[in-house]
Amino acid sequence: MTTVLAPVAGFVIGLAAVPDPVFSGGLVGPGTAVDPRRTAGEALAPLDGTVLKIHPHAYVIVGVDGRAVLVHLGIDTVRLRGEGFGVLVREGQAVTAGRPVVVWDPVAVAGAGLSPVCPVVALEARPEALRPLAAGPVLAGEELFRWD
Amino acid sequence: MPERKVIVESEVGLHARPAATFVQTAAKAPIDVTVARPGGTPVNAKSILSILALDVRNGETIVIHAEGEDADRLLDDLAAIVSVP
Repeated sequence: MTTVLAPVAGFVIGLAAVPDPVFSGGLVGPGTAVDPRRTAGEALAPLDGTVLKIHPHAYVIVGVDGRAVLVHLGIDTVRLRGEGFGVLVREGQAVTAGRPVVVWDPVAVAGAGLSPVCPVVALEARPEALRPLAAGPVLAGEELFRWD
Repeated sequence: MPERKVIVESEVGLHARPAATFVQTAAKAPIDVTVARPGGTPVNAKSILSILALDVRNGETIVIHAEGEDADRLLDDLAAIVSVP
């Protein structure tokens, strides 16, 4: 069992509300999404583990049991080519849940015409293995969902 | 050994939409499918985790390999997905 934390503060809207069919259709995997509070800040590691992949706009943390969570900071934000994002960790680095891994600004993302909504996806999870722990407003680092 | 060597034309590389579509297509096939950089270690093409970790960028070449029934058709489908700019 893994408890996945909210990487950012905001409003839990669910994956189906993500304005990208790849995420909303569950093609990447099951999970949820947070519409972030519109203030610049840090995005956190959602679980204890190792940084498998770090991009300015997205990262994957894999836990000791192999469960991996993808956090995507905004939709189509790869187009920003890292501008406005600051990476705080290296690939292969061990992180504890709640550790800041990227600094970013949802206001700047929205200002670039992109959605700042953050999908949080349990990679290769069975949808029925996830249980939501948060709905509505959430703080960064609060429990978001449980992965059995 | 049926395989395809293709250049990833997708702007975002083998990430996001192309990665998800690629993995979904591979996962539907009843045969084993792998992806590798030329000369690199093959990873399971049905695993989104493996594909994201492989971190293939726009303009890179990948080798997709499959063996079994309808392997050629599957490889054509997968090659087509990554060939879309």
